[in-house]
Amino acid sequence: MTSISIIDELKKSQILELLEQGKRVDGRTLDEPRKLIIEINAIPKANGSARVRLGDTEVICGVKIQPDRPFPDMGDKGIFICTAELLPFSHSSVETGPPGPDVVELARVVDRGIRESHMIDLSQLVIQKNKSVVGVFADNVVVDYDGNLFDACAYAATAAILSAKTPKWEMRDDVPTLVEGGESYVPTTTIPVSITMGKIGNYIIVDPNGDEWASMDARITITTDSNGNICALQKGGNGGFTFDDVIKCGEISVKVGSKIREKLKQAKEGSQ
Amino acid sequence: MGGRDTATVLLDENGIRCDGRKVDEPRRIMIKAGVLKNADGSAYIEFGDNKILVGVFGPRDVHPKHMSNTDTGILRVRYHMEPFSVTERKNPAPSRREIEISKVIKEALEPAVMLDKFPRTAVDVYIEVLQADGGTRCAALSAASVALADAGIPMRDMVAACAAGKAADVIILDVNNEEDQAGQADMPIGYMPSLEKITLLQLDGVLTPAEYKKCIETGIHGCKIVYELQKKALTEKYFGNGEK
Amino acid sequence: MENKRKYVIPGDVITTAPYRPEQNVILDGNKIISTAIGISEIHDDSIKVIPLTGKYIPKIDDLVIGKIISHTSLSWELDINSCYVGFLPAQDVFGRDFSAHADELSSKLKSGDLVAARIANFDRTRDPLVTIADRDLGKIDSGHLVKISPSKVPRLIGKRGTMIQTIEMATGAAITIGQNGWVVVSCEIPEGLLKAVKAIQMVDENAHVANLTDQVKEMLESKGES
Repeated sequence: MTSISIIDELKKSQILELLEQGKRVDGRTLDEPRKLIIEINAIPKANGSARVRLGDTEVICGVKIQPDRPFPDMGDKGIFICTAELLPFSHSSVETGPPGPDVVELARVVDRGIRESHMIDLSQLVIQKNKSVVGVFADNVVVDYDGNLFDACAYAATAAILSAKTPKWEMRDDVPTLVEGGESYVPTTTIPVSITMGKIGNYIIVDPNGDEWASMDARITITTDSNGNICALQKGGNGGFTFDDVIKCGEISVKVGSKIREKLKQAKEGSQ
Repeated sequence: MGGRDTATVLLDENGIRCDGRKVDEPRRIMIKAGVLKNADGSAYIEFGDNKILVGVFGPRDVHPKHMSNTDTGILRVRYHMEPFSVTERKNPAPSRREIEISKVIKEALEPAVMLDKFPRTAVDVYIEVLQADGGTRCAALSAASVALADAGIPMRDMVAACAAGKAADVIILDVNNEEDQAGQADMPIGYMPSLEKITLLQLDGVLTPAEYKKCIETGIHGCKIVYELQKKALTEKYFGNGEK
Repeated sequence: MENKRKYVIPGDVITTAPYRPEQNVILDGNKIISTAIGISEIHDDSIKVIPLTGKYIPKIDDLVIGKIISHTSLSWELDINSCYVGFLPAQDVFGRDFSAHADELSSKLKSGDLVAARIANFDRTRDPLVTIADRDLGKIDSGHLVKISPSKVPRLIGKRGTMIQTIEMATGAAITIGQNGWVVVSCEIPEGLLKAVKAIQMVDENAHVANLTDQVKEMLESKGES
């Protein structure tokens, strides 16, 4: 989303000047993410939900859980689908209509980060093998844009899934039927955390805000799991990273990711 | 709107409705102005369990250019529900219902907004329903009005909205989801309080002429209650807590 | 002369007495109604409302800060924080001898550049024409851009310039205020720059407060962070 706004040249040169001194315009250090606020259960009627504010970027994720048909070659696994959409009031340049490549990439990267970590134990979400399974839909909507939608959406979806409760269904007369009082937390195995880093000149910065996003040459999003393993990665933008850059980014994603993981855990505990 | 299911007790022998309200009592309403950082104007409303966010941009350049009007600015409204806003997950693509409601809300706001001083521009109103529970179009219209004022769009009047209806043969104010499904009539009303004009009016159900009149009066009474909260929302943001 | 002031929102009836309706009010029957969120003022025989919100509407001779967003071979387009885009013809910068073949616009001004400009012409049938052909106008090479609501600009300037002078003298900053709400702040001293920016933001957020000038003075005189 580097085209979302034309940054004014003054700001861009200020950003670079400060980076040369090891500083950023909002006072953060290069590997410091913005203030993260996670509010669980923002949409009580959904099965799970979270409202996340990462600096001035705001995302709401709602999780809906309902019976569905399994994918053709995966009859013994539940379904997980993650989407992302920019609401038209999130920024003056957002247009209504079908999502463009930027938004499609956003949704797919967020989906992969959660899916590849095996966060949700899909084998526990089967109602009847090959016939009926539980579908978990995590839909992200961006409410306000100020850079780094990858992480904001990922945290919102992860927090919403962690706090989501799934009803229980049984097959009765060949139809999945709700079992009263059978609710339980969605079975999860790990907490994936994505960290997005931007490259401006020779500097790597964590969690670029809107102005930094418009100034950067390239970006990389790395998702780690609770064991500190890297499970998903995406490079974007029309610049390039050196080998050393990419190794450094991997290390940062583990280090900064573990701190964010604590916040996600706290948010879930706070809701119980 | 579903069938007429008489199993739900919509009104008990004490005149209390299924959610504990009296017949002329609206649900809990909360409105906040200026909640979004990037939009030119915005508002958030909670109307019972409805949660709706509205953002306004404009007046601004119109794209594509052929849609612009050389004599006046145009108003565009998009009412949209999030997939997680309703009981069964909704497809993100706009449904016919959303398209109709977008049009009806636009036509309810047009009598209020004054765009002749902004030719060749558009004012875009974006309504997003985060959680729905009956009466979203009234809540959305009320919030849209606040968002437009917050954006500084010149307006002849605010537009306040509330629905009235009929359940268990009684005219009730502010129909909730259950009453909408199982009741006998639902009439959303949008009203300009100073100019005393109705700008949104729809009806679903059967009413005698006397009930029809009572329903409109009840709805307007509800609109006036909503108007006070719209005023409160704008006063809180712009005038602080003190009087000048 | 009575100068009754009242807070109003759109649709509020200010009075039914026979005054002449001026800016941001309409007459409906005998009711004078506000069309904006703002402060109503009665002067002699007329009523107007000073709006507290809304985009910048260009006025001829206004000084504005603009951002170049695109150009053709003949002109630049500027974001001037208004409903309309500003239009800067090439001749304004290159002079009468401008030739679309020989002279390349991006050599003088490119996308993202900030300029101090004046509204040269504006009417409803076309986009506002701007000019930078003056000694105090042109490309802004350094400084910090602060954005405030255009309706707060008079408050930032203050009566006879008192507010802005207070801020400049207390911080050592040079401040250029665009009528469109964009303000450029330059200061040699980093603390002075920070304080000046803070003071400007304070005015933007508290324009309705009665003793704002005192509050700003207090903040400027205090030492250290707050």
